Amino acid sequence: MKITKSLIILLVLIAAALLPILTEAYFISVAITILTFMTLAISWDMMLRTGQLSFGTAGFFGLGGYTGIIAVADFGVDPVMGIVLGGLLAGGVSLLLGMAILRLRGLYFAITTMALASVFMVIIRNLRKLTGGPSGKIVYTTLFNYDSTKVYWLMLGIAVGTIVISELFQRSRIHFAIDAIRADETVAKSHGVNIYKYLIFVFVVTSIIQGVIGSTYALQYGFVYPESSFSAHYLLLPIAMALVGGIYSTIGPVLGAVILGLSSEYLKLIMPYGHLIIYGVIIVVVVLFMPNGVYGALKDLFGIRKRRLEER
Amino acid sequence: MSILKVEKVTKRFGGLVAVDDVTMEIRQGEILGLIGPNGAGKTTLTNVISGLHTVSEGRIVFDGTDITFLPTHKRCHLGIARTFQIARPLKNLTVAENVMVGGLFGNGEKLKDSRKSAIKLCETIGLAKPNEALDKITVLDIKKIEIARAMATKPKLLFLDEVMSGLNMDETREMIDTVRKIRDTGVTICIIEHVMSVIREITERVIVLDRGAIIAEGPYSEVSQQHNVITAYLGEDA
Repeated sequence: MKITKSLIILLVLIAAALLPILTEAYFISVAITILTFMTLAISWDMMLRTGQLSFGTAGFFGLGGYTGIIAVADFGVDPVMGIVLGGLLAGGVSLLLGMAILRLRGLYFAITTMALASVFMVIIRNLRKLTGGPSGKIVYTTLFNYDSTKVYWLMLGIAVGTIVISELFQRSRIHFAIDAIRADETVAKSHGVNIYKYLIFVFVVTSIIQGVIGSTYALQYGFVYPESSFSAHYLLLPIAMALVGGIYSTIGPVLGAVILGLSSEYLKLIMPYGHLIIYGVIIVVVVLFMPNGVYGALKDLFGIRKRRLEER
Repeated sequence: MSILKVEKVTKRFGGLVAVDDVTMEIRQGEILGLIGPNGAGKTTLTNVISGLHTVSEGRIVFDGTDITFLPTHKRCHLGIARTFQIARPLKNLTVAENVMVGGLFGNGEKLKDSRKSAIKLCETIGLAKPNEALDKITVLDIKKIEIARAMATKPKLLFLDEVMSGLNMDETREMIDTVRKIRDTGVTICIIEHVMSVIREITERVIVLDRGAIIAEGPYSEVSQQHNVITAYLGEDA
């Protein structure tokens, strides 16, 4: 069983790595978009596992994008270095903000994180000299000079890295800390869990991931613009993907991103107008009939089969 | 020798005084009973000592350290553990994993070690199926999880908040044996209980609370004869 599992993972990885060689530019660009949202979806789910519903995804995504573009345009930094800076800045900001807002819980935390993206956007729109204000900012040295194959490989690397971090979280003591916090904070702290420390750690790690993917996404086009960089798109789509795929797992958001990413592209092709309606219907149907997502439903299916075998 | 000293502790919730100028101590190695009618402040006092509530006035010293303003998780690291009156199992974890949380974070164990020690603890305390999910186990087992999880933090002082309530006679018997076994490993125990037969049987000393204040202290056989204790439980004309 274990060998089959590793074999499947290896095959998927090889197929994913070889994708740019086997297909044309269109599919590469679709794959890049899917990987972007996959990374965001996993990072959102990682925070959700602590019981905190964060709506700050788009905020750190945009912040990373702006950092990357500014670093390259004004300071002549290499784009790859710009991505690192994007992650670091998002991490630094989330550390400072997290120390304040992670004292909030439930809806209060959710609403505050939701406000973050708007606050970042307002600040950036008004720092004209640095950010270009409402008209955005352009840079002419883009990531790998528009070589989409290399961009794809970098994106794949970031997505795989995120998957690895997420799985490390699931297999280490962090898993027990955040599961205890999610289930019952009183019990967690009574048994020695430093709740605040773990929440800040997870918040910072997920924000770094969002900053990195944000600056990568922005630097491949060499362009940022307040309304699009902080768009609710980068918040709502990842959430939809995680819900469809199945929350509280690594595989769930990955599956969700692939399913929704591919279906949205396909729907766009067969019905250029109104494809979003079908897309919405898919999300509603999955959430209604598979409350644990596609992964949860699959697990139940195979779990039942396993149990039946045991009964015999 | 006392392991815990509570000095003139008061806890107010707005205008309500839940714990009123309580001074008491818990002696090393004893089983102390904390009794009193409903709403007397027993659980609030436990919460104040374990750090879930901050004191309004007074001082708490545990094992020579002033813990009055320490956060809950640090008090746990020092060796104060507790169970909850209404059992609070972590429903997203299995039986053994619940116990592991105590070992991992209360006793600073490594992941592998904590799994081993959790399974061992389950065995000693009589939890037969450590890998079972929580929706398939009995009330007694849930109460045992509470105790095992608290024990996994390797406490010096353990508060047991109504662990006998809702158990039948056989189960109560078993629980009493478990509590004794824990005390024999060197853990000091403070037990809050409404089942008086249990208190009579296992405590060496009881403290009676009424309306937040201590009204009596001593061996159960003496305290239970005192007029003010009987009045507190049964009312003026009893």
